[in-house]
Amino acid sequence: MKNIIKISWRNLLRYTRRTLLTSSLIAVGVALVIIFGGIGASFKDEVIGTITNSNLGDIQIHKKGYVGSMDNLPLDIAIPEQGLNKIKSLLDANPEVKAYSERIRFGAMISNFAQTTSMRVTAVYPEKESITCPALTERIKEGNSDPKTFVQPGSIVIPANIAAGMNLKIGDDAVLVATNKDGSVNGVTFKISGISENILGPQGKDGYIHIDDAVSLLRIENGEITEIAVKLNDFDKLKKVYSRLKGELAQIPGKDSGKPAFEVHSWEELSPFSSIVKIVTLLILVVRLVLVSIVLISILNVMMMSVYERIGEIGTIASIGTPPSKILALFLTEGLLLGFFSALAGIIFGTGLLMIVAAAKLNFVFGMMKLSLSPQIPTAEIILSLIIVVVISALASLQPALKASKMEPVEALRHV
Amino acid sequence: MSLLSLADVRKDYLAGDVTVQALKGINLTVEKGKFISFVGPSGSGKTTLLNLVGCLDKPTEGTVTVAGVEVNRMDRKTSAKFRGDNIGFIFQNFNLIPVLTVYENVEYPLIMVQDIALKARKQKIDDMLDRVGMADQRNKYPSQLSGGQKQRVAIARALVMDPKLVLADEPTANLDHDTAYKVIGLMHQMKKEFNTSFIFATHDQKIVGEAEIIYTMEDGLITKVQANGTAGGGIK
Repeated sequence: MKNIIKISWRNLLRYTRRTLLTSSLIAVGVALVIIFGGIGASFKDEVIGTITNSNLGDIQIHKKGYVGSMDNLPLDIAIPEQGLNKIKSLLDANPEVKAYSERIRFGAMISNFAQTTSMRVTAVYPEKESITCPALTERIKEGNSDPKTFVQPGSIVIPANIAAGMNLKIGDDAVLVATNKDGSVNGVTFKISGISENILGPQGKDGYIHIDDAVSLLRIENGEITEIAVKLNDFDKLKKVYSRLKGELAQIPGKDSGKPAFEVHSWEELSPFSSIVKIVTLLILVVRLVLVSIVLISILNVMMMSVYERIGEIGTIASIGTPPSKILALFLTEGLLLGFFSALAGIIFGTGLLMIVAAAKLNFVFGMMKLSLSPQIPTAEIILSLIIVVVISALASLQPALKASKMEPVEALRHV
Repeated sequence: MSLLSLADVRKDYLAGDVTVQALKGINLTVEKGKFISFVGPSGSGKTTLLNLVGCLDKPTEGTVTVAGVEVNRMDRKTSAKFRGDNIGFIFQNFNLIPVLTVYENVEYPLIMVQDIALKARKQKIDDMLDRVGMADQRNKYPSQLSGGQKQRVAIARALVMDPKLVLADEPTANLDHDTAYKVIGLMHQMKKEFNTSFIFATHDQKIVGEAEIIYTMEDGLITKVQANGTAGGGIK
């Protein structure tokens, strides 16, 4: 085998310019896959991290039918206290669950006594919410952003656009008016303790209050909540945990219907940004397919030319007794070496460029999200690229190599 | 036992729609250790005959027996092994592998065909290069050699496998007169040293004189067999 590799290597160097051109093409392809893979993965991680850590959590649990009516923030599709306790015991028993946060979400009107506007309010326990969505308090740019106390009974965090539009400042009073599930209206005065950035775009109007205030404002007497956001220890185990929770929650039947009382959704099912993440994944796949095409066409072309140019030589080695299997191995090895070393060059080039991008720390705003790209070296992508190139090189070399090994020596020797 | 025998060998080719009879019934027996030449004009069937004897091609009719084995029914793999074990080839255009050095060209069949161990291989190559006078050129590539030197390397490559029979198709056609004589002389000398049979095809009448037996071919038939009394009498 050593000698086959040696001869194949020499044959590659025989047409240095052609080998270098083909090699460069494959190397650039591999480098693009690595760079795109690294940056794409970093972008995805940033987007997912921003969304899940700021607002959504990794998984959410609601009463059956809530997500279908989520735009209206219905209070009548709520998780009752008994159900909540069952869900909490399930979450407490799950080692993959890092934290969870009970929420009451509702629509309300906020007034500065002169003007009134609508907003969405999420009522939370601040300590639990801060662990479940650790980036939430980073968005509070003015006022109290302490993760444990960012909302206290009587205080409210309002979004920057409402603060600006209604000229509200930290320490000002504002009245929150809401309709409870029975249709009665109630109003409570809050002191503004924080002003936050809008996560969901300029029209996002999301505020936070303490859950005790929501109970009082909405006159909730039976411990109901509308949502549980869940944070996992390891985001990569999302699908596994999601499936487990779904199975466990399916065992809790509704009071009347006998069907599952609760529904569980991953962040992907709740956020429109998940489609962007899917597009990035698709683009990475397309780049991989382009790489496959580049390698297939380049190696096939080079090896076919190589066989055609060396027909006489094939005749010579066949006539002196080289077995067809070794002729096959010679050409197959040639294609494999070309693919393997081109891929290595591409990996070095791509990794180098990615390290430069990582060192540069590209910051940009995507929607209302401030993203900072610091791509990691995508080890899996590198290994996958190497495997793709080697396998495709072998496949592309196979036909020319078979052709060479099946040549009749007498015909090949006649070839000029 | 004869080294080579051909019985009623015919070979037809299709050239477009026309069938060309390259060999029209050859009967021939060659003893071991002979130095034989086939002469004749182009198209007389010399190369076709050598191809059949060298298991590179199959006859349309008749039987070809080399070293006691009927070779015309062999499959590709078996005939490749048979060639590697029994037959050496010397070509008109030398056919050295351009990316390998002189040493590596001679080493090639020992690795790729006979799978000889490194130590034995090195000894054989050194000995062979010494015998053909190319020991001091061992690290050169074919492109750095003259025609005569290339043919010496080709002879070394053919003989290093200890073949029973060496086939040389127009081995001197691309050499000048003096070099051609030297190459034929070397082949003759190697035949004596290794007791290997040499069969070469040529239309160069001046080098034919070195052969012990001269077969003259015309139009696919052997028309004349001549035992050469002066053969082996020295290089002219």
